[in-house]
Amino acid sequence: MKRAWSLILAFLLAASALAACSGGKNNDGGGGASDGASGGSGKRVKLTAIMTKHPLTKPFAEMEWLQAAEERAGVEIEWEEVTADWGQKKGALLSSGDIPDLIIGPNAITDADIAMFPGLFQDLRDLIESYGPNVKAMFEAKPETRVLAAQMDGSIYGLPKYQRFWPATVTRQYINQQWLDNLGLKMPTTWDELFDVLVAFKEQDANGNGDPNDEIPMDFAPVGTGGFGFFHPTVLLGSTGITLTNASGQGYFMEDGAVKNFFVDERYKRFVQFLAKCYAAGLINSEVFTQDYTKFQSVARGEGNTAKVGFTWGWEVTDRFGNTLAPQYTSMAPLRETADSDVQVSWDYTYDALNYGVNMVVMSARSKNKEAAMRFINELYDPVVSMQVLFGSIGPNIKDNGDGSYEVLPPADPAMDPGTWKWTSTWADNGPMYIADDLVLTLGTDMQSVGAQTEPLMPALNAIDKENDVLPTMFIKYTPEDNSTLALNNTNLMNLAMAKFSQWVTAGGIEQEWDSYVKEAERTGLPQNLEIIQRYVDEYKRNQ
Amino acid sequence: MGWILRKRTPGDVLFDAFIAAACIIVFLIVAYPLYFVVIASVSDSTMVATGKVWLWPKGFSLYGYNEIFDDTRIWRGYRNTILYTTLGTFVNLLFTLPAAYALSRREFRARRFLMFVFVVTMFFSGGLIPTYLLIKGLGMTNTMWVFIFPFCVNVYNLIIVRTFFETSLPRELYEAAAIDGCGHFRFFWSVALPLSKAVISVIGLYYAVAHWNDFFTALVYVRNNELQPLQIVLRDILLSNQVFQSGAGTGGQAGGYAQRYADQIKYGVIIVSTLPILLVYPFIQKYFEKGVMIGSVKG
Amino acid sequence: MAQATQTAAGAVRTAAGPGRRRSAWQTFKRDRQLWIMILPAIVVILLFNYVPMYGIQLAFRDYDFTKGLTGGEWRGLYYFRQFIDSYMFADIMRNTVTISLATILLGFPAPIILALILNQVRWKRGKKMLQTVVYMPHFISIVVLVGLLNVLLSPNTGIVGYLLRSMGYEINLLASTSAFVPVYVLSDIWQHCGWNSIIYLAALSTVDPQLYDSAKIDGAGKWQTMRHIDLPAIAPTIMILFILSMGGVLTTGFEKIFLMQNTLNLPVSEVISTYVYKIGILSNQFSYSAAIGLFNTVINFFFLFVTNQIARRVSNISLW
Repeated sequence: MKRAWSLILAFLLAASALAACSGGKNNDGGGGASDGASGGSGKRVKLTAIMTKHPLTKPFAEMEWLQAAEERAGVEIEWEEVTADWGQKKGALLSSGDIPDLIIGPNAITDADIAMFPGLFQDLRDLIESYGPNVKAMFEAKPETRVLAAQMDGSIYGLPKYQRFWPATVTRQYINQQWLDNLGLKMPTTWDELFDVLVAFKEQDANGNGDPNDEIPMDFAPVGTGGFGFFHPTVLLGSTGITLTNASGQGYFMEDGAVKNFFVDERYKRFVQFLAKCYAAGLINSEVFTQDYTKFQSVARGEGNTAKVGFTWGWEVTDRFGNTLAPQYTSMAPLRETADSDVQVSWDYTYDALNYGVNMVVMSARSKNKEAAMRFINELYDPVVSMQVLFGSIGPNIKDNGDGSYEVLPPADPAMDPGTWKWTSTWADNGPMYIADDLVLTLGTDMQSVGAQTEPLMPALNAIDKENDVLPTMFIKYTPEDNSTLALNNTNLMNLAMAKFSQWVTAGGIEQEWDSYVKEAERTGLPQNLEIIQRYVDEYKRNQ
Repeated sequence: MGWILRKRTPGDVLFDAFIAAACIIVFLIVAYPLYFVVIASVSDSTMVATGKVWLWPKGFSLYGYNEIFDDTRIWRGYRNTILYTTLGTFVNLLFTLPAAYALSRREFRARRFLMFVFVVTMFFSGGLIPTYLLIKGLGMTNTMWVFIFPFCVNVYNLIIVRTFFETSLPRELYEAAAIDGCGHFRFFWSVALPLSKAVISVIGLYYAVAHWNDFFTALVYVRNNELQPLQIVLRDILLSNQVFQSGAGTGGQAGGYAQRYADQIKYGVIIVSTLPILLVYPFIQKYFEKGVMIGSVKG
Repeated sequence: MAQATQTAAGAVRTAAGPGRRRSAWQTFKRDRQLWIMILPAIVVILLFNYVPMYGIQLAFRDYDFTKGLTGGEWRGLYYFRQFIDSYMFADIMRNTVTISLATILLGFPAPIILALILNQVRWKRGKKMLQTVVYMPHFISIVVLVGLLNVLLSPNTGIVGYLLRSMGYEINLLASTSAFVPVYVLSDIWQHCGWNSIIYLAALSTVDPQLYDSAKIDGAGKWQTMRHIDLPAIAPTIMILFILSMGGVLTTGFEKIFLMQNTLNLPVSEVISTYVYKIGILSNQFSYSAAIGLFNTVINFFFLFVTNQIARRVSNISLW
């Protein structure tokens, strides 16, 4: 017994000793009011806010532009910086009605939340009229932002963002040019040519290191159980004429104004057959369905100067392959399905998802300081401030040229890449912003190279009929009932489709199973979903 | 009585050999992955991910531990967790042990009914939202008391202690004491507790570890950074460095340097989180030594 | 003093008179010390477990934020029917039962066997070392454990994959549908067996050494000693823990399965908890998930109840 007591005592002593320990980086994000500009700046309204930030982002107290913006708006914000598990926190928070004045973050509060908790969030229309001139300017210059913001009855609860500079697609296609040169091959332009090139990669020691078996001809990002996403081989569907919208994760795309789903389309069947042929020939990484994203990226970085991967998809060449191997790769144009295919090739049109965002900031209806909160929000939508929300403060991150133009500076740490630097310094893509089209800003090297690498895809992207072949689901708001139906049916469909996709690619069997699979897909509720989405799309077009 | 020597039968020799072999196999199966965790926490994670690391660390670097210990929140997290664990376990035992004793007495009329009432709560629960509203109504949100009092009686542990009291405190023991004028309070304090060191240690350990590993309570009920326990801090660090788990997507989250050592942090976090508990167990273990019950029941 | 005598006398009196029933009040007075001892636990359980229990009705109502948890429109069994009629019901029920039954069948005996083995080790230091090592995996977080599995079991680069390949097996442990349940259950045992054996070791430590000595005198071998002394000593513990584990027939946990899931093992790895998570991502399904949760726990409780009744008939050991 005595032993136990002395143990407890020892622990309590240890605890108080540790309380005295400090030193090193202070990663204390929030809890106390932001310091910096608070000394003697007159009476500032105190607000509370939550922001879902990226894990790399530094504490808000260290962001110069933010402190300045708060000061100009006459507010002092107590931030709670959430990096993980927002979904778990959100439920209890919203149900108890215990929310702060502002909640900021990309779709941190979804339309479903707004519908489920009426009266909890503030309708911002009047406040925008009186205190939000920058927001009004954005609505006027870019009417689609107003569409993003408005609920079906015209009320506005969440404000959007517009980033302007991002490319028209998120996925670029890369092939190892050095390997092509080593083996004397031409750049492939059709699926069959690609197949032959990949076979050559596999059999002829393409990386020239003496080991003919260490090449991985094709690799792609891990496919989730909830559907496809970025950097997946689904972009090959563009060769068949299908235009993907925002990666078409659940298969929905638009063709000539009609809403369709590629999971039950003949062209998807041919696409899977092509992949199965490649896999059977040993051309695809055998761990493609079991490796995680870290491993996927690690493999592409090869060993020293020796590359391992021949053909793949990614965001940008240094991000995908690392600085050492990046020069070996070139970005490619979309392939044609066959040599005599005359279909206009397409790609994944991700412009909307990359440049727009919905519900970036919402306000509590129970806030006692709505005008002050709106004034702060207004500061964020000033294009010069927005620029800093995205890239970092003027000074360390952005250079003011003095003539109304600006320039994004390279990272202070030369070992760091511009993307990480952006995410570390500021809210980046997670914040509300309006990058006006007439703002003169020279971008950093990463954004410029992304633009350069997208060049081969531009003919196909420019040929897309945005009216009839791009699905405008980002701009559509569903009723809670329809949203629920869509979600439940999609869960069923994805469970079936994704399992079949990986099974057919690795083990074959698509010819035998295709017909029963299509029937099965109907049972998941897919026709119901297509009908619902078509209805909303038609309504959206009528109101344009 | 002392040890009585007896000839070892062939059956005994076989038995001993089997035991020895089983122990060695168990040791290897368990120890190797643990050893792997230790060397992975100081190795270059690209090499770990591609399977180059299996016996010795490769690409030695302390980046992971630097990142973890550089974060001041760690020390505050340790302090908070130690406080919640010691105080919380003390309260747990305070509430659980007497209740288990009461339920173990066969003459207690209400024991079956109360046990049923308790077990039901292991299955049926109102859910997170009503619980959150209750705790908020009691004023415990965002205070340290939310780590101590809510759910401080774990019915599973209660049942285990009750079983122990039932089987190792026979009725004769109590009746002998009752004749001498001892009531339940005296009996519990002077006889039952000292005889039950083994089970108290085990249940104390269970409660302590539950407190130590808990991050959900802080996640949902606590917003103030000063109160955050260790697990929240570690989870934050862990998830920050799993940035590369999900797609790179918008903006190029390359971070080549950070990615090389991302996994180090993952493995380093386990070591940092479990070391203190590992240090506690040897103290508890001595209570499992044989001979705790000698001489308590005569005849 | 006088009171104590009266209590003892009262006990004797009751024993002597079989037909005499005491009134509830007198029973209460006699047991009042016990009532005081159990009161704090009752208060805590009533307050934190029973007070919020009204939330269960969310499974039978729509969630209406403006009217509070109890004000939504009454839907009766609508959400339960929605679940049972749903496209994936059969698959997720089958998967859930398979995984949790396999976990119980294999995971329940393992700690017992381990405890019995450890108890036989004579070398004190070795025993301590082995005990400490064996409970350590319990503390590895799930995220790290699954990461470990991915590295060690990887067919091309992992050590386990390497061992299997050198023995001639070409299976990808992370991908095949037949390997999912074994990998899940065995890694579960690996992680928790040592920790779960602690309770049995503690029970074994209370065995009177005199019993071992008399067994030796009677000429019992080690195997017989284990069968006739060790096992009966932990029998009550085994019984109770088994009843409790039967209350987990439909419980699989969420995080580990979710992290281990990939498109190749999806047909066997989609369970109730992962399904509930997925439907809730983009649409708030408070009532539907409450209904599924209630469905889940009712079945669990039913199994526990039945097992408890059987245990009471067969042995004298039961929960209530």
